[in-house]
Amino acid sequence: MWRSGSSGGSDRFEYLQTLVTEFQDTDSDEAKEQVLANLANFAYDPKNVEYLRELQVTDLFLDMLTEENENFVEFGMGGLCNLSMDPECRDVILQSDGIRLVTNCLSSRREETVLSAITTLMNLLTPVSRSQITDPAILQCMLRFSLSESPRLRNLATVFLQDSCSEEQVAQAQQQMEGQQMAVGIPLPKD
Amino acid sequence: MAAPVNNSSGCWRVPEVYKHHEQRRVCISRPKYREGRKAKAVKVYTINLESRYLMVQGVPAIGVMTELIQLCALYGAVEEYRPLDEYPAEEFTEVYLVKFQKLTSARAAKRRMDEKSFYGGVLHVCYVPEYETVEDTRLKLQDRRSYVIRAAQKREDTQEEPSSSETTTMSDDNILTHKQTSGNDNTRETSNVSHYLGFPPLPLPPQKHHYHRPKSQHLPTEDKMGTLHNTCAGTFEQREGSSRSKQTLLSRQAAHQAAAVRFLPRTTHLEKRKRKMEEAEEPSSTVSGQNEPLIGPKLPEPSKLDMEDESLNTTVSLIRNTMKQVTSSPDIKPVEKKVKPRRRI
Repeated sequence: MWRSGSSGGSDRFEYLQTLVTEFQDTDSDEAKEQVLANLANFAYDPKNVEYLRELQVTDLFLDMLTEENENFVEFGMGGLCNLSMDPECRDVILQSDGIRLVTNCLSSRREETVLSAITTLMNLLTPVSRSQITDPAILQCMLRFSLSESPRLRNLATVFLQDSCSEEQVAQAQQQMEGQQMAVGIPLPKD
Repeated sequence: MAAPVNNSSGCWRVPEVYKHHEQRRVCISRPKYREGRKAKAVKVYTINLESRYLMVQGVPAIGVMTELIQLCALYGAVEEYRPLDEYPAEEFTEVYLVKFQKLTSARAAKRRMDEKSFYGGVLHVCYVPEYETVEDTRLKLQDRRSYVIRAAQKREDTQEEPSSSETTTMSDDNILTHKQTSGNDNTRETSNVSHYLGFPPLPLPPQKHHYHRPKSQHLPTEDKMGTLHNTCAGTFEQREGSSRSKQTLLSRQAAHQAAAVRFLPRTTHLEKRKRKMEEAEEPSSTVSGQNEPLIGPKLPEPSKLDMEDESLNTTVSLIRNTMKQVTSSPDIKPVEKKVKPRRRI
């Protein structure tokens, strides 16, 4: 019904396709940012998720995470945050080495990017991916965020630590952190 | 283990000004096909940015808090509110924090109230997730996740069993838009909502929109940020098309009728307003409208909105009646209004 029955569905698909095409064809960074934000917002609605997957927007978002332009990273990360709620998209992201790419965003200077990354990591949790996502390095990062001045960051990191891993894991990460005092090196997001 | 959760004293901290409170500059360089109905900034919304806490800036400092909260309550139950006196405000304006019971209500209120004029001021409404507690954040994410998963499952078995989750979204529409609920819908509404306290399985930003828009312009036009707040009619049609079983078809039709009723009221409303201005001397006719000749479909009966709680229902109808009076006279006359003996606080 989403796709076939209604012409509304295929209109939407075509529209999204146009967006993806524009993104690929344009040389203007400004246009790219706009289209990227468009796509990321479309990813919020589960109705579009299937089309977006078909158009391989998941990979498009993942590609953005390694861009220099911080807007690209923020919007791409936001899109992944939206998409990764969907189980099938989650699997696509996991298969594309998404955890590593998303984890790198935890050190972004932008709070919005970091928040999207944390939520995405929680969304990516499966029995298989668990060990990678609860890696001590990530937990240390969350521990640090949980002490942040920013309530949003603090809350989200706390939810991560409470829901995604065991207390032993957290305690272990904390010990390691105290042992090496290395977490100081990770910059906190600025805004 | 982790986290100083202790300073999550919620609403009662001294507020800080965060960057996402700012109104971003509207983007003017979009090509035609990506232009939405409203000018919007380039911004990506995620669940992290949404919240049932809203901040309302630009409220004229003329003692209209009650009126503001009444306006908010049109979009759903307000759990808590308070002025943010410490928050930097423009001269002669106040800033308020409003906590809704449900995220969907906050979403509707934000969309409807942002950049709207209110007693001579222009409101700026934004989400303020920094007022959430850890638990708020956790629930918000859980609800969102289960909503998306349900939507995904629905997609899988659309053909066989189209009804259950659809009606779920339907009934949310009901709540959100205060439309008439048919008997059928009522039962479902109750059962569904109770599962998802505080964040019903909502259909995204779109819902409240069919409320005002004329049916004809319902091509799926998404707004600039790619959200489909405006595309509800399409959804309705899809739903219609896919329904097979008689019972669901029936209830759908009922719902659809109600929806159809809701597509037009804008005109009715305007008519009424015009008439109101003409015969401003007869104030009694405003409230009920029973004796008036019927032009077009009636506005949805507000009293039928069921908040599942008697006292809430009473409040709702009270507020609704007051708001009816307030909105039915042109809001460009704040002075007159101030004189009215309606002040209660």
